[in-house]
Amino acid sequence: MSNNQLVKKIAFILVGMFFIQTGFKPAGSIDTNAKIKAVFIYNFTKYIEWPKSYQEGEFTIGIIGESPLYSELTKMTQTKKVANQSLQVKKFNSTQDISKCHILYLSKDKSGEISSVLKSLKNNSTLIVTEQSGLVDKGAGINFIIKDNRQKFELNKTNVEKYKLKVSSSLEALAFTVK
Amino acid sequence: MRKGLYILSLILLIGTIANAQFVGKDGVSKALFYLQKPELDSAKKYIDEAALDSTINNEAKTWYYRGFIYKELYKSKEKDDKNSKYRLEAVASLSKLNKIDAKKEFTESSSKMLNYLASTLYNDAARSLAPETFQLAEENYAKFRETMLLSNPDVELKSQDIKFKLALASMLNQHALQGNNLDSSKIEQVKSIYKEVLALDTNNGSANYSIGILYYNQAADIINNMDYDMDLEKLNELQDICIDLFLKALPYMKKSYDLGYNRKETLIGLGNIYHGLNDEAKEAIYKKELETLDSPDEK
Repeated sequence: MSNNQLVKKIAFILVGMFFIQTGFKPAGSIDTNAKIKAVFIYNFTKYIEWPKSYQEGEFTIGIIGESPLYSELTKMTQTKKVANQSLQVKKFNSTQDISKCHILYLSKDKSGEISSVLKSLKNNSTLIVTEQSGLVDKGAGINFIIKDNRQKFELNKTNVEKYKLKVSSSLEALAFTVK
Repeated sequence: MRKGLYILSLILLIGTIANAQFVGKDGVSKALFYLQKPELDSAKKYIDEAALDSTINNEAKTWYYRGFIYKELYKSKEKDDKNSKYRLEAVASLSKLNKIDAKKEFTESSSKMLNYLASTLYNDAARSLAPETFQLAEENYAKFRETMLLSNPDVELKSQDIKFKLALASMLNQHALQGNNLDSSKIEQVKSIYKEVLALDTNNGSANYSIGILYYNQAADIINNMDYDMDLEKLNELQDICIDLFLKALPYMKKSYDLGYNRKETLIGLGNIYHGLNDEAKEAIYKKELETLDSPDEK
């Protein structure tokens, strides 16, 4: 067998081996951004105090609109509690469907409905969390923003306190901006 | 058929030489006598003596027959031993022969033996591509290379090197992905093998794609393992690490895209990396392209 024949034969075998053994894919089963947001949201529950009447029963996080955060938060409810309250996640199809919840997350595709969200939550003690630039000036308590590719949050203390919630100074310190 | 004739003529030649020269002159003659019997252990004993005998150990035939005897020993006794010492000794003897055979008397026969030994080394390298024996695979591949170059110093092995490294990296990567968490030291090892491939061929799509995925997976793994309870300072610190990994993944995945490698997976990879970088606009571009690729019109 000549050198060239030998090399060709070997090339053939190795190509075969390579194709058998390649084929791994991104570990993409999780939504990386949703997981980070879920960690933020769980932390918000530690830095914000709800009135006594909200410290019993289940701790409810509501979501309006389509967001991968829903499945991530649902996963979180299986292992976490807020103080002694077990967690539940509710998906609301429209602002009319909103019922009592501790945190309401308004997904980006429903950002235009902030005004009707505010109306629905009047007289409630709900932390409104959004992910659209400018919403912290339109009634949201916390708004997620992107700075240098990283997720950060803006805090509007006045908006939060309007709903009879107390904000820890530690959360102010961790916010990208405080209004 | 040709190989058979070659072996037969070689044995006849050996027999002739042995009959003519034996009894008991030098180690080579004695070794050839026993080789034709065939008593390989005795042949080995005398050829080893010859190799140490200063009166004949500078002769090409000494090393040629030593290579031949050790090759036969390998074939008869260590064919299934991926770490065969006889085979290495055969290669070492033929290497010595190459250096001293000024008249090129044994070049053709030696080259055939070297090719045969190289092919067995290669096969054993391929068979050793498993997590427990990959170091032996690397050793056998290195020896295969060395043997091929002894046979023909001008032989082109770059594409072989690339294919072997890709197969090795792919196997090690599969192993590293087993279990719940990525083993970072194994991932670094795999990455460095892929980078060796890129040093040989910067346009290798597979290596570019794989390095991109490895960096991406490292970041995704960190995020996946975050505890919801993690404090925000730690979260910010880990975000920095993950963004750095996503940014490292990006040029490799872009290169894979430019090369048109593994189109669908590369588009998914790019979309995921930009998603990790919170760059919605760019994520949307690649997602759209992926949708177009997946649409029935494209198929």
